[in-house]
Amino acid sequence: MELSRRRFAQVAGTAALAGGRLAGQQTPLTAQQVIDRVGNAGSADGIKAGDPASVVSGIAITAMATMDVLARAVRENANLVVTLEPAFFGSTDAPLTNDPVYTAKQEFIRQNGIVIWRFGNHWRARKPDPFASGLARTFAWTKYQIDDDPSRYELPAITIGALVDDVARRLNARAGIRVVGDAQTQVRRVTLLPGSTPLPAMLKALPECDAVIAGETREWESVEYAQDTVASGQKKGLIMIGRVVSEEPGMNLCAEWMKTLVPEVPVRAIPAGDPYWRPTV
Amino acid sequence: MTANDVVDRIKKNIGIPWNEKSYRDTFKVGDPNTEVKGIATTFMATLDLLQRAHAAGLNFVVTHEPTFWSDRDTVAELANDPIYKFKVDYCTRNNMVVWRYHDHIHSRPPDLIWVGLAHALGWQDRQVAGSFNRFTFPQTTLGALATEIQRRMSIRALRVVGDPSAKVSSAVVGMGYGMPRVTPDADVVIGGENPEAGAQFDDTEYILDAAYFGRNKGQIILGHAISEEPGMEDCANWLRTFVSEVPIQFIRSGEPFWSPKT
Repeated sequence: MELSRRRFAQVAGTAALAGGRLAGQQTPLTAQQVIDRVGNAGSADGIKAGDPASVVSGIAITAMATMDVLARAVRENANLVVTLEPAFFGSTDAPLTNDPVYTAKQEFIRQNGIVIWRFGNHWRARKPDPFASGLARTFAWTKYQIDDDPSRYELPAITIGALVDDVARRLNARAGIRVVGDAQTQVRRVTLLPGSTPLPAMLKALPECDAVIAGETREWESVEYAQDTVASGQKKGLIMIGRVVSEEPGMNLCAEWMKTLVPEVPVRAIPAGDPYWRPTV
Repeated sequence: MTANDVVDRIKKNIGIPWNEKSYRDTFKVGDPNTEVKGIATTFMATLDLLQRAHAAGLNFVVTHEPTFWSDRDTVAELANDPIYKFKVDYCTRNNMVVWRYHDHIHSRPPDLIWVGLAHALGWQDRQVAGSFNRFTFPQTTLGALATEIQRRMSIRALRVVGDPSAKVSSAVVGMGYGMPRVTPDADVVIGGENPEAGAQFDDTEYILDAAYFGRNKGQIILGHAISEEPGMEDCANWLRTFVSEVPIQFIRSGEPFWSPKT
């Protein structure tokens, strides 16, 4: 499933050649040609809606292909939508029968000639982890990276409260941010665990840093571990920013990478955004 | 009276056969033959909760959720974890015993965790006839409903999906790690905790898209602790009906999160 650096170099090289032939190329680029060129190694990946023979006018890349994302893609003349998370409300993107929302979304896709390509397993397997790197770039932390590990950073000392405010602002977060730990606690070493974080990753990360920024974790697992770490007297914290929000910067990197592979059409990232709000009382 | 004696009395009074195969409803730390000075019931035996129970003179903790950060309280790989050592040492030093009460509190009729949640929502009389988890209420907006729930249950990190102005009058409710699947006959789904995407059914994306098409749908995510903690107060009240030798207190482990202002 994981593409080696060499394989990536080969793919990129092929793309460069394909780009070089463009001038004389008469045949328009289809969705299937893009997929064949980029690769489609993941088990859950593949075309989830639309005709693979569709001619591609532009590529939109997102963490989750919601209707808002599809509508913006149409406005920006992109009909190949590359999504990390499912487009059809479940891990398998399985069809729903007699469901008005499913039917309306499929109809919108058909009317606008959209092709939905799920590109999750493949991009998650990339090394170094593009989700951690992308998140760090969004936070402007790249220069603080520890060694060659894109998940670990050593920042100038900052309180958890100030860190949370900065992170929320840079992510355009709404109500999706939830924090364990004292807002006054000073932290320096921060580990990024975007996406859905399993307990073993948290058990490894939190003892070795001051704060973990995660996508989503479970309340009876990593959240309790972080609570207990704080209650034991350690000056630490856990900041959960939401799964989709945590994954979007990694999909921005995916868009930049895909631009180099598919130079014939515009490629852009479209964020799905923080899905959550909360009453302001 | 030992912790074992208390558990034996729970088994005698629960009114359903005890499933000895339950890996959840077992002792998690401490000697079951420890003499009980007092009982604390709670949602989760966090270290902070154990510290407060000890301060209150209660050395037997009845917890709904895990003590050591996984459903099976698997400790084999935690031997060198500093927080694991700290938590075990704290219990040993203070003669504390933790026992989990999860599967059987849910499967006994009525499920006390469910009773607690319906009461906390204030919805005991709004149940749809013939259904245990469907409720109807006078038409309101999703925003007003979320505001009422947030205030009533004192939630810091409530999360809501959907158009705040959507008109809603029915809900299907889940608890814990449970988010009911959105259905045509319920406007709002309410639950404790759920994966944001990539699960068997993703309510969040569905509600976002339903809102795009102007449908009156909403999702309200209470938090796992918020949704199941109230029932552990009902558990304390129930324990008092057959354990009178020692004090029994419900102690909130509480909502684990705070959230920045949005």
